[in-house]
Amino acid sequence: MIQSIIKRDGRVVLYDQNKIAAAILRSLEVSGDGDAADAARVANDVQSDLERRFPAEAPNIEAIQDTVERQLMNHGFNAAAKAYILYRANRTRAREANTALMKTIDEITNIDARISDMKRDNANIDGNTAMGSMLQIGSAGAKAYNEIYLLRPEHAKAYREGDIHIHDFDFYSLTTTCCQIDILKLFHGGFSTGHGYLREPNSIQSYAALAAIAIQSNQNDQHGGQSIPNFDYGMAEGVAKTYRKAFTRRLKDAVEDYLDLADEESAVRAIVAKAEAQTGETARLETGKAFAAAIAAGLKAQYDLNETLSHKLITRASIRAYKKTDRDTMQAMEGFVHNLNTMHSRAGAQTPFSSINYGTDTSPEGRMVIRNILLALDAGLGHGETCIFPIHIFKVKEGVNYNPEDPNYDLFRLSCKVSAKRLFPNYTFLDSPFNLQYYVPGRPETEVATMGCRTRVMGNVYDPTRQIAYSRGNLSFTSINLPRLAIESKGDEKLFYEKLQHMLELTAQQLLDRFEIQANKHIYNYPFLMGQGVWLDSDTLTLKDDLREVLKHGTMSIGFIGLAETLTALYGSHHGESEELQKKGLEIIGFMRDYCDRKSQEMRMNFTLLGTPAEGLSGRFIRMDQKRFGKIKGVTDREYYTNSFHIPVWYPISVYDKIRLEAPYHALCNAGHISYVELDGDTARNVEAFEAVVRCMHDCGVGYGSINHPVDRDPVCGYVGIIGDVCPRCGRREGEEIAPERVEELRRMYPEMPAFQGIE
Amino acid sequence: MTAKSKNEKLGQGVGFERIRRITGYLVGTMDKWNDAKRAEERDRVKHSLSNNA
Repeated sequence: MIQSIIKRDGRVVLYDQNKIAAAILRSLEVSGDGDAADAARVANDVQSDLERRFPAEAPNIEAIQDTVERQLMNHGFNAAAKAYILYRANRTRAREANTALMKTIDEITNIDARISDMKRDNANIDGNTAMGSMLQIGSAGAKAYNEIYLLRPEHAKAYREGDIHIHDFDFYSLTTTCCQIDILKLFHGGFSTGHGYLREPNSIQSYAALAAIAIQSNQNDQHGGQSIPNFDYGMAEGVAKTYRKAFTRRLKDAVEDYLDLADEESAVRAIVAKAEAQTGETARLETGKAFAAAIAAGLKAQYDLNETLSHKLITRASIRAYKKTDRDTMQAMEGFVHNLNTMHSRAGAQTPFSSINYGTDTSPEGRMVIRNILLALDAGLGHGETCIFPIHIFKVKEGVNYNPEDPNYDLFRLSCKVSAKRLFPNYTFLDSPFNLQYYVPGRPETEVATMGCRTRVMGNVYDPTRQIAYSRGNLSFTSINLPRLAIESKGDEKLFYEKLQHMLELTAQQLLDRFEIQANKHIYNYPFLMGQGVWLDSDTLTLKDDLREVLKHGTMSIGFIGLAETLTALYGSHHGESEELQKKGLEIIGFMRDYCDRKSQEMRMNFTLLGTPAEGLSGRFIRMDQKRFGKIKGVTDREYYTNSFHIPVWYPISVYDKIRLEAPYHALCNAGHISYVELDGDTARNVEAFEAVVRCMHDCGVGYGSINHPVDRDPVCGYVGIIGDVCPRCGRREGEEIAPERVEELRRMYPEMPAFQGIE
Repeated sequence: MTAKSKNEKLGQGVGFERIRRITGYLVGTMDKWNDAKRAEERDRVKHSLSNNA
């Protein structure tokens, strides 16, 4: 007679046959093999079996489970036995995950981020801070739960073993990736952050401050980055409001000064109000003739001034108002950049991933914004540090800013000069055919905008009337380990494509599973993103509605990494080495894109192909593949797989060839793409050369590109530029001290030098 | 420690900051990069402007 059993942790508890019967019944029900009476019979036999095997001592859990499996099979319940084994395996996995989770938390708690690679998985989270660690612990717990409870077993296996990578897996059940915030729509009528209501802003300073708050608020509703697609168009309204107020004030000053009067505020206000009512215009950076004439008439009526004098006062007021507005705009842009580099989100552990797109607004106000944001970027932070956020993206368009005769060409030139110093802006090219197809002049929402990382959302299979950049974003993305499929195919191209097809299907299914979770959320789960109408059509929802339909404006993306290693594994060399291999590369990526397009049509949802950013992934996949396959030359013999479709970073190639070879992949990767080239510092600082590279990208049909060059800084003397072993300004080597006399001397030569901590 | 002796140590143990593009965005300095991305950055070669561009 079995009295007691030994649990896994060693505790002895009373034997309970009902528990065994219940577990057996579950398996019988899952498999459709039998009912409660069958379960009772099997449970009885389990007991007899155990009594035979354990006449004296108490059996342990493992032995009992072995017995259940055996007896299910003895009774011919083979499907139920299989279900029971799967159940056992899942439970085992859950237990192991618990142990692994505790170990992970232990590492997060006790190990310095400088030593722990895991804690540096995302370079913008500080894993050494209290809030950063809390975030990482929560993330580890969520991942463990999601894997066991939310993924289908085949998806969990593919994810665990590195066939695929489910990005932002910790947020799997919680939210979506990112959004392009239409800042104008948000500001009109004011908005609520969830912590307080903000009135519609009335000056460029408050436009810029609220733009930063919008990015911060939305970041708390999503796990990815936040972007403003219309930074120039959006801030231009703020500039216009500031100028309008400044003009009235400066006109009042001019009248008071010239006529030697004390307080003409209400009289001048009345003149301006009357002119606005008459003409339907306001004072603008380029004030209209009708408006100026109306003001002149008002001045004549009020002060009996002749026309020449009236216009003189108006001109003086205009010039002064312009100066004031320009100054305010510069300060607003500096404040915006400072805010985005210092404000915290996600419990203080991270600065928001923020991007701003601009370059195409040709209004005087928009141009003032573009010029000043570039100058603020150029100036850097308080000690001249290069700003990490926001990511600046300059939109290049023929007829707007690309050719010398274009209205914003001067700003494009300025952007090159700034990027040559600060690495930003990056460039997006609206003339590339896959972008130009959406472009409608006069409708900025049809200009492609990108998340700084590269994610882009434009086409819309769900609603072809809304193929716009604004108010949309990515829902989720999962990347395929392309090199592994190639290694496993052992040079068999047909087998490779079969494997790839299978993996695409598996990934699409996993994205759809995740969409089901996302679709069942409500606007109250995302008080800013959905509650404030930031996401397209979310302002049509009531509290009862789920998000299914509005989320269909977003994209589900299938990503990939390591095209170069994939080609090398399959064919012996990569696409930088021959035109033949370039063709093979385009076939593989074209195959993936075709799959996404077909799936989009089939589901009437947006499946897109992504050249994955893969900051954390570059090492994860290859480490697993090295364990599995060893070091294969040109494939697994480095510490990282090559990013997306890039030519390997170590492969010598000219700027022109790199851009020419990578450009066709931009057309295929409709979820996002980027190409960058590495210039040495001297070349990068040559603005002509820099612009020539950007023009090359434009002419080759690149979608999104940037130019890398070394940006070093000596925090002691504040020098920004290229530093080899020795700082060119103060002459010290890394870690060396410099004499106080030398500091004083440098300070006289470079007044902007930082007051280094500890100096005073 | 007096202000003067602090002055004498200015710069001691202070490294240079090196900012690089990681995947499209930048990060503060490279000490926060993960091992794989550090290796990738180390391997990057400059691209020449010769032939065409």
